[in-house]
Amino acid sequence: MSGRFQAAGRVAIVGFAQSDIRRHVDTPLGGLAVETARRAIADAGLRVDQIDGFVGATLFPTAGAHRVEDGVSIVSPNWLAQRLGVEPAFAAGFDGIGQLTGSVVLAVNAVASGAVDYVLLHRALHNPAGAYHANPMREAGGPQQWTAPQGFFGPLAMIALPYNEYLQRYGARRESMASVVVEARKNGARIPWSFWHERPLTADEYLAAPTLFDPVCRFDCDIPVDGVAVFLLTSAERARDLPHHPVYVAGYASGAPTRRRLPLHWPLDDIAEGGAGLARRLWEHAGIGPRDVDLPQVYDGFSPFVWLWLEALGFCGPGEAPGFIEDGGIDSDRPGALAVLSGGGALGNGRMHGVPQMLECYLQLACRAGERQRSSASIAVACHSSPHYGGAIVYSAAPL
Amino acid sequence: MTNRPVPIPDEQSAPFWTAAAEHVLTAARCVRCAAYSMPPDVVCPHCGSTDPQFAFTPLSGRGTVRSWTVVRQSFLPGFDDDLPFVLVDVELVEQQELRVIGRLLDGVDAPLRLGDQVTVGFEDLAPGLAVPAFALSR
Repeated sequence: MSGRFQAAGRVAIVGFAQSDIRRHVDTPLGGLAVETARRAIADAGLRVDQIDGFVGATLFPTAGAHRVEDGVSIVSPNWLAQRLGVEPAFAAGFDGIGQLTGSVVLAVNAVASGAVDYVLLHRALHNPAGAYHANPMREAGGPQQWTAPQGFFGPLAMIALPYNEYLQRYGARRESMASVVVEARKNGARIPWSFWHERPLTADEYLAAPTLFDPVCRFDCDIPVDGVAVFLLTSAERARDLPHHPVYVAGYASGAPTRRRLPLHWPLDDIAEGGAGLARRLWEHAGIGPRDVDLPQVYDGFSPFVWLWLEALGFCGPGEAPGFIEDGGIDSDRPGALAVLSGGGALGNGRMHGVPQMLECYLQLACRAGERQRSSASIAVACHSSPHYGGAIVYSAAPL
Repeated sequence: MTNRPVPIPDEQSAPFWTAAAEHVLTAARCVRCAAYSMPPDVVCPHCGSTDPQFAFTPLSGRGTVRSWTVVRQSFLPGFDDDLPFVLVDVELVEQQELRVIGRLLDGVDAPLRLGDQVTVGFEDLAPGLAVPAFALSR
């Protein structure tokens, strides 16, 4: 199966809730998830007993040895349904990479097929006490025996290798990344629920931070947080009777690299080639091209992903993203710019794993962005994870 | 005794670690198509065989630097005494895109460029345990 998505425009987001994003909340994560889910259901003009589908992803993205416990450090769709007192017709978790876009695909397919009427999609992220990624392991078996004894371990090493490969290949400089991070923090500072609300970052502050895994410094990484976001999706027909302007799903694509690598080894060419394949499938699925997109929201859990997504989606040629950005190409305050971090992204909100991108697409297309409302957006794209492993969803204000 | 994580060889990987202890770098080679794979897998990524009978075959140990990073804060506390250190992403000469990652033993001040030639070296961590690493070729 390839080509245009047969269910384009038939499923819509109809409501949401986003918790405050904090370093540590006082209540267990599950309590915050239930509270946020109830707010989202009310926001969509629905009752709890109408929700018959639950989807989400539970990945706890730490390399550390933290305990995984449902309702405490993760929240699964089944856990949430049970605590809300619902017996859903369909509850499913997405276990691939690109957890949020993958969850949207599950939700859209469940509604489009007629399997369920109303789907609650959630993502709950936890910041455990202690160091997030540190791992006292003394033995490495299975896939990790090929990397951990050699000192290659954790997501910062993962992104540092393709990032440096990019700098070396294109003669780019890490100083260029300041304009990416400053842009994310500028936009995040304007968002009330963001961890970084009213706390922008200057280029000097960025450049003064020491590197941890050259060329990566701490400001290139999103900060671990506690936070929950919930979205409600239903059919375009049912959406007409609900209070908010529906935002339609026009198409989607996921990365699917076939080349096998060592754990966490993401060479630059794998990312670029995988990203090109994802973009080709995405535009075919949605029946549009990059020039039709008013508001792409690229993933930025690590800052180099901003360059890599801009190039994968065809907004910049290979090696051109740093110059494009330094020339104001993504400045959300500049008319005509491609405001790919207008929602603050992960760098400007906290480690919400694709939520800020999806939420900004929804808020802008539903005309619910308040003071941040942009006038012209009618087609938006939300990305998550790396272009070669993650996913992207095309949203539209009217069915495409 | 090292505080670094030590490999736990399994039935498939045991020959790799036995050879490494003798300072010989090997890679898994499919008995059907003779292509190398690192790491080995259930299915040969080159010919698709589900019975690749991977044999760890000695390599020249020579390769090319495709990228690197300087690690200044390891998430593995066992490496704290080694900080800072360089990790190199190496494409081995035996096969296109046969890539492995290891420490560069020349230290953080050694000038590096993409395409630099390296040769395997080994870090002896304990009796019978050596981990592959790399050094710049002179």
